[in-house]
Amino acid sequence: MANIGPSIALFALLAAAQGSAARGAQPIEYAVKASYLYKFAPFVQWPQTAFETPTAPLSICIAGSDPFGPALVEAVRGQRVNGHPIVVRHVEAVRSGLACQILFVGGEESGGALQAVAHEPTLTVTDHNKSGAGGMIQFVMVAGRVRFSIDQAAAQGSGIAISSKLLGLAVSVNR
Amino acid sequence: MTPRRVVRRLMTAIAETPAIGIAIACLLLVASLELAYHNESQARADKVRDVTVQARILAASLAGPLAFNDQTAIHEYIDAVRASPEFNAVGAYDENGILVDGFSRMGEPLPQRNQVAGPIVQGDELIVTSAVAQNGATLGSVYVGAATESWSRRATRYLGIAVVVVMACLLVAVLTAFYASASAANRRLQAEIVGREEAEEALRQAQKMEAMGQLTGGVAHDFNNLLMVASSGMELLERTTDPVRRDRLKDGIRQAIERGAKLTQQLLTFARRSPLSPEVVEVGQRIHALQDLLERSLREDVQVEFEFATGLWPIEVDPSQFDVAILNIAINARDAMPEGGRIKIAAHNYPAGGEIRRDMVRLSIRDSGAGIAPEMMDKVFEPFFTTKSVGSGTGLGLSQVYGFVRSSGGEVKIDSVVGRGTTVFLMFPRSSQTLPRADIPADRSHHVEHDATVLVAEDDEHVAELVAEMLRELGYKSKRGATAAETLRLLEETGPFDLVLSDMIMPGKMNGLELAQEVVRREPGIPVVLMTGYSEAAATAAAEGFPLLVKPYTIEAMGEVLGHALHQH
Repeated sequence: MANIGPSIALFALLAAAQGSAARGAQPIEYAVKASYLYKFAPFVQWPQTAFETPTAPLSICIAGSDPFGPALVEAVRGQRVNGHPIVVRHVEAVRSGLACQILFVGGEESGGALQAVAHEPTLTVTDHNKSGAGGMIQFVMVAGRVRFSIDQAAAQGSGIAISSKLLGLAVSVNR
Repeated sequence: MTPRRVVRRLMTAIAETPAIGIAIACLLLVASLELAYHNESQARADKVRDVTVQARILAASLAGPLAFNDQTAIHEYIDAVRASPEFNAVGAYDENGILVDGFSRMGEPLPQRNQVAGPIVQGDELIVTSAVAQNGATLGSVYVGAATESWSRRATRYLGIAVVVVMACLLVAVLTAFYASASAANRRLQAEIVGREEAEEALRQAQKMEAMGQLTGGVAHDFNNLLMVASSGMELLERTTDPVRRDRLKDGIRQAIERGAKLTQQLLTFARRSPLSPEVVEVGQRIHALQDLLERSLREDVQVEFEFATGLWPIEVDPSQFDVAILNIAINARDAMPEGGRIKIAAHNYPAGGEIRRDMVRLSIRDSGAGIAPEMMDKVFEPFFTTKSVGSGTGLGLSQVYGFVRSSGGEVKIDSVVGRGTTVFLMFPRSSQTLPRADIPADRSHHVEHDATVLVAEDDEHVAELVAEMLRELGYKSKRGATAAETLRLLEETGPFDLVLSDMIMPGKMNGLELAQEVVRREPGIPVVLMTGYSEAAATAAAEGFPLLVKPYTIEAMGEVLGHALHQH
């Protein structure tokens, strides 16, 4: 309980999301995605090389424009996963060596960014991408609710293990 | 008080108080309560552990669905738990502690907010909360309310055992109390038995003295007659010179003295204070020996007849008590015949058969007296019951007979017809032991060793002179020592002697028996003969194996005993 101080702001957003997600309101959809984004962390096992020290921060990098706003930063404040404090970083240009544990690439132009971190232990998360070049986790909308599909093969290729609990919740899994 | 006595008294005190039993019962009760409490807390701990594990499993399962708000999955997991009737209420809460999904079987709704805390018991419900965490990140919590066994059910479960335990405690307490009272009663009974035994012993002695009293009159009369014979005989002896007449007078005097001696012997034996000491006796012989006493305790108008079958079996009784019993019955018979009559004493063997389970000897004493009224028959054996006038009877006679016969393993029966007479039957069991050999037949053909020297130890001057005279008459030489010490000195200095004859009662440090033992120790070759007038001393001497001359004795008896003693050595 000590390492998670749920923020009232996120709580308010979530509450709103549950009620209004069906109406497809854009900000609320992203509020839910923001909360999912950092909640993926406990269900993911990075290789040891991903962190410099056992207490090194776990970085959630937002590539390009930030659809979440300050809500995400607020939500992760004080949160820890396996002893790693969670931090949110904004990255203008995705390149290798950023040391991001989670990389969110919004919009349709994700291919290049994903390519840049393909050989690094980075969990890539993208919105649903019709071009097919999605991240390891892709947000999808199912019956007006935010769900996700998982590309387990890609994650394994980067040395990332995803908990079966998370796999079980996915809309689809590419093994 | 010695430590042993203290311990014994302590044991008695413990045995006679129910305290220890009550203590055991209390201990049992406390132990079962303790055990029940222990069981109960053990069961509760088990239950808490069990429910906690279940809650953790549920929490682990709910981690994903809670994190990603998958209502369907949450509902499925909760439903799965719902299948178990053990859980009254289960709730899943998000990371902010807000209820997401759950159910409650009981009336109470689930709390809207949950806070993770230790397990608590509310009424009959055990509430366990558990955090939903994944890799150190808390994602929510679960609330599980499990039904515990209700008080009433638990009470019912324990009631059976409680009843058994309480019954056992009661039983222990009651048994101990009972044992304590029984033990106290037993001790009182023991004390009473001892008291009664003492009283019975005193009664026996009193009965004997009573019989003695009965005898005294007759004996005094008889003694008077004997003294009359002796004194007048002496007088006449001095006045006549006719040898034939003198011989006849001397015979008369000797006979009178012999009868007197026999009588005093019997009285001494009779009066001896002795515990019951059974000996093997032959009824006929014993009663024949009692004849003199019997005649003296009866009147002249009472005739006594004997009829003893030959080959009577030996019986085992205390001889002096036997004598007293016969005398008591005879005296009763005499008193039943104020006008005189006949007493018939008979004895027969009574082989086993029918109601008699073992060989018995039946002794019957029949009189031709007044008889006993039927209504009195039941009472005649009771102590102090008497039909005689005050002062003439104590009522102890037949009770002595009864006590003696029963303690000898026999039976008493009375058959009586008013106006025709009474018969008392005494039944004694046959003894398996043989009769002790009667006195060694006197060796009449002993030859007097004229050169034999006898050392006499006798303190009484007159008796010593008489003994010396008798010894000379028998052809012995003699020397006398007045004390044991002097006798021993004479034995050392002026021997050799062929025999030592010693009185048993001697002044000084050493009595006759000790002197005899000392002589045997110093000179084993010299026979020692003891003489005494006391029956008890005589018994001691006999027990030590010394030949004995019972005072008063005749020259003939002396010659016989001394000759025998010399002959044997």
